[in-house]
Amino acid sequence: MSSNSDHQNHRRRPYVSNQQRQSTAVIVPTPCSHLTEFKAGRGETAFGRLLEAVRVRPLGRASVRGGANEVFRCGACGKGPPRLYACVSCAAVVCGVHAPDHEHQIAIDVDRAELFCCSCGDQVYDRDFDSAVVLLQTAAATLGGCNSLCTPPPESIRKRRRVDYRPWTPDSKERALLGTHSSLLPGNNEDLSPNSNFPVGLKGLNNLGNTCFMNSVLQALLHTPPLRNYFLSDRHNRFVCQQKNGVNHSKNDRKNKNSQRLCLACDADALFSAVFSGDRKPYSPAKFLYSWWQHAGNLASYEQQDAHEFFISMLDGIHEKVDKDERKPHSQDYLEPGGSSRFPLDYQTFPHNINWMNIGRVNFLFQRFGSGDCCIAHRVFSGILRSDVMCTACGFTSTTYDPCVDISLDLVPTHEAPTKTLHSCNGKAETVNSGISTLLGCLDRFTRPERLGSDQKFFCQQCQVRQESLKQMSIRKLPLVSCFHIKRFEHSPIRKMSRKVDRYLQFPFSLDMSPYLSSSILRSRFGNRSFGFEGDGKDPDCSNESTSEFELFAVVTHSGKLDAGHYSTYLRLSNQWYKCDDAWVTQVNENIVRAAQGYMMFYVQKMLYYKASGTS
Amino acid sequence: MSAPDEDNTSNNTQLASNFFGELLDSVIMDVASECHRVARLGLDRNLDDEEEELRLSAQARARVADPSNSETNSKYVVDIFGQTHPSVAAEIFDCMNCGRSIVAGRFAPHLEKCMGKGRKARVKATRSSTAAAQNR
Repeated sequence: MSSNSDHQNHRRRPYVSNQQRQSTAVIVPTPCSHLTEFKAGRGETAFGRLLEAVRVRPLGRASVRGGANEVFRCGACGKGPPRLYACVSCAAVVCGVHAPDHEHQIAIDVDRAELFCCSCGDQVYDRDFDSAVVLLQTAAATLGGCNSLCTPPPESIRKRRRVDYRPWTPDSKERALLGTHSSLLPGNNEDLSPNSNFPVGLKGLNNLGNTCFMNSVLQALLHTPPLRNYFLSDRHNRFVCQQKNGVNHSKNDRKNKNSQRLCLACDADALFSAVFSGDRKPYSPAKFLYSWWQHAGNLASYEQQDAHEFFISMLDGIHEKVDKDERKPHSQDYLEPGGSSRFPLDYQTFPHNINWMNIGRVNFLFQRFGSGDCCIAHRVFSGILRSDVMCTACGFTSTTYDPCVDISLDLVPTHEAPTKTLHSCNGKAETVNSGISTLLGCLDRFTRPERLGSDQKFFCQQCQVRQESLKQMSIRKLPLVSCFHIKRFEHSPIRKMSRKVDRYLQFPFSLDMSPYLSSSILRSRFGNRSFGFEGDGKDPDCSNESTSEFELFAVVTHSGKLDAGHYSTYLRLSNQWYKCDDAWVTQVNENIVRAAQGYMMFYVQKMLYYKASGTS
Repeated sequence: MSAPDEDNTSNNTQLASNFFGELLDSVIMDVASECHRVARLGLDRNLDDEEEELRLSAQARARVADPSNSETNSKYVVDIFGQTHPSVAAEIFDCMNCGRSIVAGRFAPHLEKCMGKGRKARVKATRSSTAAAQNR
């Protein structure tokens, strides 16, 4: 395609996939003078007549059609498709060769419904035209009533206010308060030991007997910024909690000496206090293990267990016990400065049912999730997945939303991996991508349209029969902290065996999740038209550009075989990496982390990630 | 009569070739048009960052795999705080279920029996409560 356009930054971009990975905000390119001139006199109805000729195929692209069996041919040479352009002004059809000769400038590619400037010899873009085409496309996908594709869901009452980060130092009254009500940790000027140079929350965890699965996850959670902030700002004070709930006479209570009500959040509070105390001797999370086994009876055994199962189980434990937390009335500063609650979901406004969730082999009951404010675990980890099921016959789309606390990804084998194939047209032999599994590749796969088998036909409300359908996942709302779980352990109940997938997975230190947002996925489904799709920055309930940048802060790795392996955790504090291997905390180079076999990766939203702070 | 047949064959071949050519052109145009739109609308801004991460990862793996690199897989001597730790954690504390003093590194197996949980504990209970033959 010839082009007068500038060739600045003209690198050969590799063709990624037909579901092109994109970042959020669409820029509207400056129109060429011909397009501007065309639109000048005509205003909004510039493309009115043209749009009447636009046809939309279900799930397919838009195109321009004439009469019933009309086949377009170039008026000058009689050439047939492909690459024919219909003039927007006079409806004459020309081919690419004869387009510059045509008296009018603006035409449309008949097969693709893309505007073409005959003078510039280039494809051009117009927002009004795109909007109109998208409306045609999405009208076909819905019953005309509920249109979850374009209409943003009703705005929630509580909007998220953005406040800039402000450094804080105590004033004299606060200093006095600090002096009388707290004791300073080592690490101030008086302590000259070398240990004070390391971040204060670094501490080993003793292995209590095959409990590395627990230690590794605890280390990640101890350094999950919003969770750490919550407990360190005393939001769940274990003494207050136990005092409030008093002595428990329930028959669940065994002969334990303290007769306390089981509360995993209290045990977490104790854990945070111990680990951030400044003392560097390894901590034995015995009470935590005891409480957890009381909570998750079926998992209570001395065998080696799965770290991910523990993670889900632990969040579940905190969820149940913390829903009656006292909260500050107006703001939750441990999450973001000055921000109001971030999960003002109102499921009643969505005409869909809430589904039972089953991720991580544990069922979550979400009746209590209505307001999203249920507990710190959900406030930190919970996001919302969107699932679209599209009828292949008519395009009708059914949408459901499900909350999730993490994303479990299949580790695709080499021959299936949606790797980028670099066309080395510019001579550079960049073969580094071929054959490597990447986290982004797994996410691509997670969000790509999947054809449901013919045995899984879906009842289409528009067709009123069962039809073959496509299913596509996307992320409607990103959590504060994204946990990615790589399914390295395959259990085959048929063959009665399990195996571990050791295949290396590349994961980035900085991650942009915007290509996987519902707004991006929807946009690419409708040909990447410039149009305000759901959640394009205006809806506070949806994630937008500023909330989709993440930084890696913890990696849980598994080494060894399926039944005789070992978990450890890499932590990133003040841009320095540490390895936490049960009681052993050592410093490592970032190369070790990049080359490690990741099992669970923890990313936090960039705005919550403090890089430069010395105490991190 | 072979000439018209030959003509037919070459016509068919020509037609097939034309059809294929049109299909190929169409596919190429699809790709070009889509990529053009993505590039113009600025929807592909992150490719540089992604490639940089991939490059760093490849570099890291090469460095780690290098046998002359001493950092990988070296046994721990001291941790960053200058401490050493035995292979079985030696701290001693009281079991919160039964009150006995337990060594940290053996706490989990102890607790399993103490709480009556776990496979071994459950098997014991079954053995005493049912007389039926067990599937072991």
